Amino acid sequence: MDRPPPPAPAPSSAPTPLLDRRLVIVTGKGGTGKTTIAAALALAASRAGKRVLAAETGPDEHLARLLAPGSPPVGYLGRELLPGLRVMRIDPFEALSEYLGLQIGAPRLVRRMLSNRAFHQLMAASPGWRELITLGKLWHLEQMTDGQGRPSWDLIVVDAPATGHGVAFLNVPSVVASAVRSGPLRRHSQAVEDLLKDPARTLLLPVTLPEELPTRETTELVKRLRDEAGIAIDRVVVNCIVPQPFPTGLAELDAALARLSPQLRCGELPSAGALTHCASFLRGRHDLSLTHIDLVGELTGLPLVHLPFLAAGVTGPDTLEILSRGLVAAEAYAR
Amino acid sequence: MTPKAFAASILLDNRITVCVGCGGVGKTTVAASLALEAARRGRRALVLTIDPARRLADALGVEALGNQPQQLSRATLEALGVPAEGELSALMLDMKRTFDDLVARFAESEESRRSILENPIYQHASEALAGSVEYSAMEKVYEVWKNGDYDLIVVDTPPAQHALDFLDAPQRLIEFLESRIVQILIHPAMAAGRFGFRIFQQGTRRVLGLIERVSGISFLEDISEFLLAFEGMSAGFRQRALQVRSLLTGPQSRFVLVTGPSDESVLQANQFRRRLEGQGIELTGVLANRVCLWPDGPVPDEIEASPEDLQTLARALAEANGSDLPSEAAARAAVDAARGYAARVRRDARATRELREMMLSQGSFWGEIPEQSLDVHDLNGLLRIARAIFGEEEFSRGDRV
Repeated sequence: MDRPPPPAPAPSSAPTPLLDRRLVIVTGKGGTGKTTIAAALALAASRAGKRVLAAETGPDEHLARLLAPGSPPVGYLGRELLPGLRVMRIDPFEALSEYLGLQIGAPRLVRRMLSNRAFHQLMAASPGWRELITLGKLWHLEQMTDGQGRPSWDLIVVDAPATGHGVAFLNVPSVVASAVRSGPLRRHSQAVEDLLKDPARTLLLPVTLPEELPTRETTELVKRLRDEAGIAIDRVVVNCIVPQPFPTGLAELDAALARLSPQLRCGELPSAGALTHCASFLRGRHDLSLTHIDLVGELTGLPLVHLPFLAAGVTGPDTLEILSRGLVAAEAYAR
Repeated sequence: MTPKAFAASILLDNRITVCVGCGGVGKTTVAASLALEAARRGRRALVLTIDPARRLADALGVEALGNQPQQLSRATLEALGVPAEGELSALMLDMKRTFDDLVARFAESEESRRSILENPIYQHASEALAGSVEYSAMEKVYEVWKNGDYDLIVVDTPPAQHALDFLDAPQRLIEFLESRIVQILIHPAMAAGRFGFRIFQQGTRRVLGLIERVSGISFLEDISEFLLAFEGMSAGFRQRALQVRSLLTGPQSRFVLVTGPSDESVLQANQFRRRLEGQGIELTGVLANRVCLWPDGPVPDEIEASPEDLQTLARALAEANGSDLPSEAAARAAVDAARGYAARVRRDARATRELREMMLSQGSFWGEIPEQSLDVHDLNGLLRIARAIFGEEEFSRGDRV
């Protein structure tokens, strides 16, 4: 496989290195591989000796499956799947129960109330709180310290909801902070918002594909979250880049094949028509990749991290490591 | 019936087709293609998207779709082979406006309408906070269906977890409106402020009070006021929610699951399918999008390339392209490309096999849309997808499915 081209140079004001952030929120259009990238990043950080927490925010567990295939569900309490790497799933109801228990100081009472059917229905029908409580839990995890006063986690990697919902997800604290005038909820929303908007601690890492719709969505995401909401975004991960399919000097192989009669068969080989189909498909995907890589760099004005398309798929830590190395290599370059 | 005719009979010959599936599988383009094909068969078709990412607008090349159906121009439709009686419209949901319209429709008086629209709980619920889109989406589907302007409504749904909210929305709304807490709050005799909460156990009441103190919002008062204002509307609302639910589960609606061909997306599709079944909703079919297919017949298990065959190919290439082409290297590269592509074809077939066999064994529809080397973002791209599902036929005027 060809080596992916090096990323564009970092902007002159050197950003805080990727792994030195406290909270990296990975998002992207559905299907871009954001969960895979979140897993690869968590793996990279743990291999670099960091204490890492990887958190899922969806209803299903995917991170654990990628990092430790065959592992049982990790749940809200989470589990250490690799040395220095813990994975958890933030369930909003569990987080709410924990939050209210801490605030009110009567966890048993809170649990009883949360198991009240009417209250459950009321909460199920109320929008916004899931996002707020999920982000609140992340803030809480970021604040946690061990016995010596060091942060419990060097890095928290979040597999955030897909773009469209991700924007709303991250805007919730500021909506609440602006709607609620006083009291602990306001203070907590404010603290969450402060964390999200602190470029030294928090980074949003968009993952995109070198294709048309993801390119547009990523551009929109950068505009709305960096330019309007003020959340730091200092690079874009372009995933699944199809390598140059033909050897040097044969860039026009598909056109050369197309000049043959499609019915032509050379012995046991596929027909010339089939050979042309295969070559022009690979060529088309590759050209499209290049166009969109240029476009996403141009439209966002951000450095890009190039990651290759893995034909065999991502099956576990071994294949994840290829992506981890790509993320870290780009980091070394940026520094 | 051929598979293509089967596709038309189950995907187009009903009133509502709901496309569900995970993000990134091309659900929006598939939904728009289904609507386009229905229009090409002389039907009045609408595609409705509730996805906030505005993908439909992209796919249809329409910059901004309002909260009302926008019809494609006659000239555009003619170029796509849509006969005079066929129509294609697209609607992009404006969640807040739909919800406000709903309040306006069911509110008993101008005063109660204003009181709801200005209530902080309502504002939180109806502003663009994540997850609240589903109620209004269902409302819009129902409204459009009831107006009867379309033969077929194709509904595109937001990705994964949210799509399920979308299906749950009517049921959740009914449960919520019928829940004890709401009944207590809106019951006139108990409606005076917090009196209603005496019904709760001592402990729960204490916690609710504490939440109020912690949250700094008069949570209960606002909810109580909100629900009071809703009181006059709740009967209408509940009836509406029931109608929406029965519309979606009734014979006029069909569900089609759109999936990608990778292990990952098939896995998610299966999770999705099980959740739907848990909801009592049966899938009519699965459309596997962006599948790599071998161009002629079954994909070979291995592509053997003997030195003689490579020589023959190299000679043919040299003959067709002149001496500038390094023909032997080109022949080897062509075989490598074919092997690379064949590996993709086999990988997709392997990933989708189990789901395909399951669908076929239960008499459901299974369709494959070939991966294109170009992005689908225009109407001709939609046409290519429609042809992959329904075949190449051209339809003359009046030729209905």
